Amino acid sequence: MTTAGIPTARTGGRPSAVTARDLARATATRRRSANRVKLWAGSVCTALVVLPILLAQLLPLPDANDQELGARRLPPLTEGHLFGTDQLGRDLLSRVLHGGQVSLTVGVLAVVVSGLIGIAAGAAAGYFGGWMDAVVSRVLEAQLALPLLMMLLLVVALFGSSVTVITAVIAVAQWPEVARLTRSLVLVEREKPYVAAARVLGLRGLTILARHVVPNVVRPVSLVVLLLLAQAVLLESALSYLGAGPERPFATWGRIISDGQDYLTTSWWLITLPGLVIALLVVGVNLLGDALRDGGGRTSRTKAAKADGGTA
Amino acid sequence: MPTYLLRRLGQSVLTVFLTLTAVFLLVRLAPGDPAAAYAAPTASAEELVRIRGQFGLDRPLLVQYGIYLRDLVSGDLGTSYSFHSPAFDVVMDRLPYTITLAVSAIAVTVLVAVPLGVWMARRADTRRELGANILTITGQSMPDFWTGVMLLTGFAVVIPVLPASGFTSWGGLVLPTITVAILQFALVSRLVRREMTTALAAPYTTVARSRGVAERALVWRYALGNSAVPLVTAVGTRFAALLNGVVVVEVVFAWPGVGSLVVRALETRDYPLIQATVLITASLAILVQLLVDLLYPLLDPRVRLGKAA
Repeated sequence: MTTAGIPTARTGGRPSAVTARDLARATATRRRSANRVKLWAGSVCTALVVLPILLAQLLPLPDANDQELGARRLPPLTEGHLFGTDQLGRDLLSRVLHGGQVSLTVGVLAVVVSGLIGIAAGAAAGYFGGWMDAVVSRVLEAQLALPLLMMLLLVVALFGSSVTVITAVIAVAQWPEVARLTRSLVLVEREKPYVAAARVLGLRGLTILARHVVPNVVRPVSLVVLLLLAQAVLLESALSYLGAGPERPFATWGRIISDGQDYLTTSWWLITLPGLVIALLVVGVNLLGDALRDGGGRTSRTKAAKADGGTA
Repeated sequence: MPTYLLRRLGQSVLTVFLTLTAVFLLVRLAPGDPAAAYAAPTASAEELVRIRGQFGLDRPLLVQYGIYLRDLVSGDLGTSYSFHSPAFDVVMDRLPYTITLAVSAIAVTVLVAVPLGVWMARRADTRRELGANILTITGQSMPDFWTGVMLLTGFAVVIPVLPASGFTSWGGLVLPTITVAILQFALVSRLVRREMTTALAAPYTTVARSRGVAERALVWRYALGNSAVPLVTAVGTRFAALLNGVVVVEVVFAWPGVGSLVVRALETRDYPLIQATVLITASLAILVQLLVDLLYPLLDPRVRLGKAA
């Protein structure tokens, strides 16, 4: 009876019939604890992948491109090679971590760019309405109907696969999601009294939008961005699997897997381990994004839930 | 209703037209020469010029565009450089395979994810629901090419029960279908769960229950019926997206569909084939979206097409 929690509800002499047991079984409590599980699991999975990637240069690992032809396709846990080596005797762990630096950089940059475009376009469409809304909404619809991966492949195949092109391509693929959400949030926000007050004070439309409306919607929007990061990482690895990833000598996740495919029956680790690393990171980011979106503060939660029309 | 249909069709044609123009310009503005990809590596400069002339690539861009549109109107999508046959036929040969894969993947998705979502709604906020939720998120988080290769190794190499690649028998459909469907479970089950939770808490459910409607009918007919519009929208959108883009899975399984065709067309800079593929798949996807919209009044009598929204 002395453990932490809700001490007042447990003592027998209290007037309320609500016991700690009831509270623990209440939907809100269960929902919160489910959210906490997601948050923790997500953070742990993400950290397990992201920290080693960030510290790749500091870890005592062989260089990602050091070939040692005498030590080809060593199985995992061999002396000095935790993940084993690949078909050219390169350390797999080192390749996965350095590949992760490329994938994460592309992913983060792409999400930042798509976030900026999406917020600007969505806010303008939602706030000003009229022809601006018509144009943005049409473009959003059109993009939903397009063969997305085909178009991405087309652009990358034609304009070369530099990191810049890939980042831009993923950003363009993802901005509609952000724009749609921002637009719906701004539509609600626009009708609030403070906007009317700002207008009465004589502020111009653009100022109201940028200084007063956008700061109020940035938080719920930013929570969705994590889910986009997960998609961006997957998209980048799919592109490089198809041979449209950042050019060599970069070891990217998709290419490590497509290179290792030929040796699958004899050297399972060449694609199993990199795939697990990708999945772990994406699961982590997805869970984290989910938990933050569903539980991130009272106001933003309801806003994001209301406006969330099929994200994730 | 007819006006609505006409307006929607007009919009669709416009979208397809803009897409075509974008693709037309994109392939021609980009570096890379189809003649060089087509000719033998030893081809002389004169040879390349001759091939470019043969393809009509030596004319001004606007003239090429004009010819392209003129042929398009008469139903001619050009001749594929690498297949030496009409691009339309090449794509149409591959299309049934992509449609088969998309249909079977969507069918599996609906058969698994809808009951799962209903189950999740009825067990909302329990540990088991959390477990199912995390499981579907995991499915959504695995790169599809990786899942594909792992399944392939597992069920075609280590335990050889299914064919490894291509489409030689219906068994060849199993692994690609699973690979594609795994990605969709999370999205659809979560949508069903959200809609069903709302529906099961709605007053009409309480009324129906108090009047003695059986729980089974309540869940499957009343609540699920009222969740049909968002569900069909989501499934329709996913289906349209699959028609466009099971590229990766097709490549992994050497599936003879449109996706693997487009990868090859890009490698060989086969302009007519790239354009034909994008035209046909984009039109198909837009058509599916339109059909979904037309379904709304059947699913929910309150919906009137062409009014408001």
